[in-house]
Amino acid sequence: MVILGKIALGVFGTMVAGVGLICSEGFVTVNVVEHQPEQHHIFVMAPAAIMPITARFIPADKFDKAARQLKPYMPTIRAAMDALEKTDDVTLVEVKNAEEHVLVRKVGGSVIVDVDDHDDHVHVSTPIGAVESTIEQIASSQSSAAWTTHSDGSNDDEDRDTQ
Amino acid sequence: MRKAYGFLAAVLIVCGITAASTIPTVKAAGPTERYLHVRVQDSKDGGESVSVNVPLSMAAAILPTVNKGKLHNGVVHIDNAEMNDIDVKALLEAIKNAPDNEFVSVKQKDEDVRVAKQGGNLIVHVIQKDKDAEKVDITVPMKIVDALLSNVKDNEVDVAAALKALGDAGGEAMLITVQSTTEHIRIWVDSNGNPAE
Repeated sequence: MVILGKIALGVFGTMVAGVGLICSEGFVTVNVVEHQPEQHHIFVMAPAAIMPITARFIPADKFDKAARQLKPYMPTIRAAMDALEKTDDVTLVEVKNAEEHVLVRKVGGSVIVDVDDHDDHVHVSTPIGAVESTIEQIASSQSSAAWTTHSDGSNDDEDRDTQ
Repeated sequence: MRKAYGFLAAVLIVCGITAASTIPTVKAAGPTERYLHVRVQDSKDGGESVSVNVPLSMAAAILPTVNKGKLHNGVVHIDNAEMNDIDVKALLEAIKNAPDNEFVSVKQKDEDVRVAKQGGNLIVHVIQKDKDAEKVDITVPMKIVDALLSNVKDNEVDVAAALKALGDAGGEAMLITVQSTTEHIRIWVDSNGNPAE
């Protein structure tokens, strides 16, 4: 009986620790509300830690083009994300016209995008750390086939970086 | 049974540490963040308004990482051909050392231009008298001009140093306003991250 209790406690403890770990990077929330008379409402909330983990399981060749395009800008992206994380809460961009209202804000440790137009209101909130990890994952997930290695050991991406 | 309690305590400690890592850390009180604001407002009825607010610390962190075209490590290289062989550095150095004065004043049928140094600022006013009736006001603190030109070669301007100088300067500084019949553009620096319209 004591052994069963220990096993149950172990399983429970592992589950709690696992959930805590998964939730440690915060949550990605997507909220879509339609302005139609027959209103539809979509609300999705997922642990942000699964974003880079999911990206890891996507075959590398699917990200070849994205990885090649991202790689030269990674120092800038890293600097931007680090600085954004450290800065106070701020409305980064706001665009208003007769058709729509777009708002991009940094609140706490998240980037929040709100788009309001005639049809619907879309709200997306993503922790900055998760965005950075996911971009890092995509940038590093280049398949070996996409690397054209020259005789001097350099490759196309290194060439582009040094330009 | 005591072992089980010990194990439970260890699990709770791990969970507590994990949960604590999710709580945002309290920021130490540092220097007040300053922002570069850009507002573009279309004067037409139902026209678009665009508002961009960039923390200067963020801009200063990003700029040195951009190495493209003529921008490298926050420094912009200017070709001599683009400057028509004018020594901009010497020109601005002369303005910096000169007392407050009106340097250029041109009044034409379709345009008035005025360039002056006033209260530690380099001021450029342009008024166009055509149908757009565009009015441009540029105010650049001399400290920024100084930062742009110090510690670089003659054909370079240090944008990163200028951003740092903007960040270090106190108060609100209106840099550029463009007012025409169709739109109103404002660029300024202050310490308010969410300024009202």
